[in-house]
Amino acid sequence: MPDKSADLVLGNGRIYTMNRKQAWASHVAVKGGRIVAVGDAASVAAFTGSSTRSIDLKGAMLMPGVVDVHAHLMMGGQAELFELRYASTSSFETIVEKVREKAASTAPASWIIGGQWGSDLHGKLNSLEALAKLDAAAQGRPVMLRDDSYHNRWVNSEAMRLAGVTRDTPDPDQGSIGRDPTTGAPTGLMIESASGLVESVIANSGYYTEEMDRSAMAQSISTLNSYGVTAFLDAAAMQPILAALKGLDDRGELTAWSVSAMPAVEPSFMFGIAGDELIALKDQYRSAHAKPDFVKVFLDGVPGAKTAAFHEPYVADPILGCCFRGSTIVTVPDLIRWVGKCEKLGLAVKIHCAGDAAVSQALDAIDVVRSFNGPTRLIHHIAHASYIAPGDIPRFAELGVAADLSPFLWYPTSFLEGHKQAMGVERALRFWPNKQLLAAGALLAGGSDWPVMPNPDPWNGIEGLVTRQNPNGEFAGEALWPEEAIDVATALEIFTINSARAIGLGETIGSIEVGKSADFIELDRNVLEIPADEIADIKVMTTWFEGRVVYERT
Amino acid sequence: MSEPDPAHRLVPVTILTGFLGSGKTTLLNRLLKEPSLAGAAVIVNEFGEIGLDHLLIEASEEQFQLLDNGCVCCTVRGDLVETLKALHRRAADGELPQLSRVVIETTGLADPAPILHTLIAEPELAGRYRIAGVVTTVDAVNGPATLERHAEAAKQVAVADRLIITKADLVDGWTVDALQHRLAALAPAAERCLAADAALETLLDAETPGSEARADQVAAWFDRAAQSIHDHECGPDCDHHDHHHHHDQGLHHGIQSYSFVIDEPVEWAAFATWLDYIAALKGEDLLRLKGLVCVADDLDRPLVLHGVQHVFHPPARLESWPSPDRRTRLVFIVRDIAYETIERTLVKFAGVRPAKGPERHAA
Repeated sequence: MPDKSADLVLGNGRIYTMNRKQAWASHVAVKGGRIVAVGDAASVAAFTGSSTRSIDLKGAMLMPGVVDVHAHLMMGGQAELFELRYASTSSFETIVEKVREKAASTAPASWIIGGQWGSDLHGKLNSLEALAKLDAAAQGRPVMLRDDSYHNRWVNSEAMRLAGVTRDTPDPDQGSIGRDPTTGAPTGLMIESASGLVESVIANSGYYTEEMDRSAMAQSISTLNSYGVTAFLDAAAMQPILAALKGLDDRGELTAWSVSAMPAVEPSFMFGIAGDELIALKDQYRSAHAKPDFVKVFLDGVPGAKTAAFHEPYVADPILGCCFRGSTIVTVPDLIRWVGKCEKLGLAVKIHCAGDAAVSQALDAIDVVRSFNGPTRLIHHIAHASYIAPGDIPRFAELGVAADLSPFLWYPTSFLEGHKQAMGVERALRFWPNKQLLAAGALLAGGSDWPVMPNPDPWNGIEGLVTRQNPNGEFAGEALWPEEAIDVATALEIFTINSARAIGLGETIGSIEVGKSADFIELDRNVLEIPADEIADIKVMTTWFEGRVVYERT
Repeated sequence: MSEPDPAHRLVPVTILTGFLGSGKTTLLNRLLKEPSLAGAAVIVNEFGEIGLDHLLIEASEEQFQLLDNGCVCCTVRGDLVETLKALHRRAADGELPQLSRVVIETTGLADPAPILHTLIAEPELAGRYRIAGVVTTVDAVNGPATLERHAEAAKQVAVADRLIITKADLVDGWTVDALQHRLAALAPAAERCLAADAALETLLDAETPGSEARADQVAAWFDRAAQSIHDHECGPDCDHHDHHHHHDQGLHHGIQSYSFVIDEPVEWAAFATWLDYIAALKGEDLLRLKGLVCVADDLDRPLVLHGVQHVFHPPARLESWPSPDRRTRLVFIVRDIAYETIERTLVKFAGVRPAKGPERHAA
């Protein structure tokens, strides 16, 4: 029976399946990109024919490919391929020098785009003196440099000229233009939505071609593959992203399962059509591995900037006063309308909620929709399920909502230091009640929020889930709310089968079971046997996507 | 919003709808010959369908025609809103007779709901016109088959305040009875009559409980609606032997009517929140909602609700209760919304205990 022969058999491995009914196996057989047998040598014997390629894992650990439930792929790929890069710790002088070097190799009228400068440079960059130095370095070319939060930009005079920004340009809604205190002349610092004034000029200039978009996405996906990620949800997929994913899949070049969340309104850091206009195009961009199955709603901002919505006030400050709690940017009725509309269209909703009041409102809205619409197969996400009022913890499971655990901030970081300043130490530390969510039966799913995390390495996140300590060596000896640590096996489930279920692909990926996609990763050590503080050191040796090798460590 | 001039009466607007061939144009032709229709404006889709030539006294311009009975006939050019604004303006300028009422004829396939939306939601129109009701013609010969085949026809019946059965003389009495029964199931609150018996005022006074409705009419309307739903409705614990006949989804395109009574006064803020929710999530299938609501902070002055899909009239406050029955009453005409969904969400979000309406109550 030649037709029964597998294309590939991986044997003699320590295969951790994420299938609770058969946690471990030594052999797996693959045919046509799908798993046809899992078990011991005898289980795959019947599938081994003359055309079968056999690989001896030599006792290495093999597990399903990782699923990243929250990432922004385009920016990372663009930065790597097309942009001027420098460390966020770079000094002002270094950044200007880098621009000068880049200008020398850039055509006269062409944009110089780069990043990411550290947020601590805000004051330094916000002056006409700094602007003059940037202009001199660029020699007439337009320059736009992003900061490490991706929320703000520093641009030069030529960029402002192209964007029509002058001293008479008013600050846009939810943004501001840096200005010289005496003359009012713009300094080139573009805060929040003011970034859009320049970003949209670049987007509309045709600077990025479709081919560049595809290359950038392919570059990002190849980075994901190198960390063992074989499926992801792009958490703010604008039209160029949808087009690039479909374009790659049509060419057979998409090396991960991709689910996209289309923004309900244009995000502050990406530009182009959004909402109904974008959603109307979803079927045009659907293919076997490219699934525009989500809509993204931003309900609030971030705690560090005091733009997240909380039940209790932030620490008093001279500008916001004593009792500022932040606010949500979408009303509950509007959120209800969005969730209701998305359910009708068969789309799940990923709701960005950074503060506990935003989480409450998102759960309230979903509760209303559940009450009127009844049960659904769709799984909505609370993205960044991080600060959560105790009473809301059981509601995740009750409402069938997934807790999107991203970015990897469940250990001490500089973000946490910012939160302490904004809301006081005690409240800031009640961050990521992962164990309570788990005990309450919530579906926990893991994500990187790359490029908020500098790279999408899930092993960093998995170690942090287990230790609650910073795997990078910073904040040594400190742990964030260590009672909320979870065990390794659970952390692995979160980044595989749980995330697969959360993005609607639980029947296709996330575990090594017959019928599922042959997405595997071979590791250089056994995650379940090493000390927890070594998990972040794990290296992926080989990544298979649908039975094909898409990454090999050299 | 400025206080309306009391002398400035809102012009009643009747929407005349009905499927192709249901006798709508015949009815309009009759209407246009009525001497008592002076001051009325009739908005039609095409002059051509109705023989106007012998009625014309003046062709002032292509869109507006003044008939010898003093009736203005106009065609809809694109935007109904613009036509209604122009009518009002020209009447105010003396170019057309003072408007006493407006009748809007819809095309056969038209869904009357968007026209109702327009009248409720367009601020300039809401200050000049009021909805006097939806009149739907159904012909006794083809009506039953049309209702089965076309969801649009069922919806036209479901949203009607008055149903006019045409061509009843062409079929036997049993057929008319069966059609009456079918219509009552689709639109329990609508009044029904035969075209042959229909007087002019029958056509035009399809009053719906709204801002200008008289209190006794409001009470009568709810009593009638409640009784009719009781006779035809089958809720979750229905034991009527003809259940299946009435609630065959294929026959009624999922259209159902429910009536609720609420004994305790209603906290308006919570109830309004619930209204927002149902409008947001089920608006498309909420064909009609009418309510007489006893509000906790003003027990003596009930609110009258009138909603069409996701659009609601601003609730009107009656100066007194129209009858001794001071319970809140709600009447729904819906498509594919379960009784239990409305009941459960009223409990959860409006904080009320709705009971299935109704038993007949002495008014």
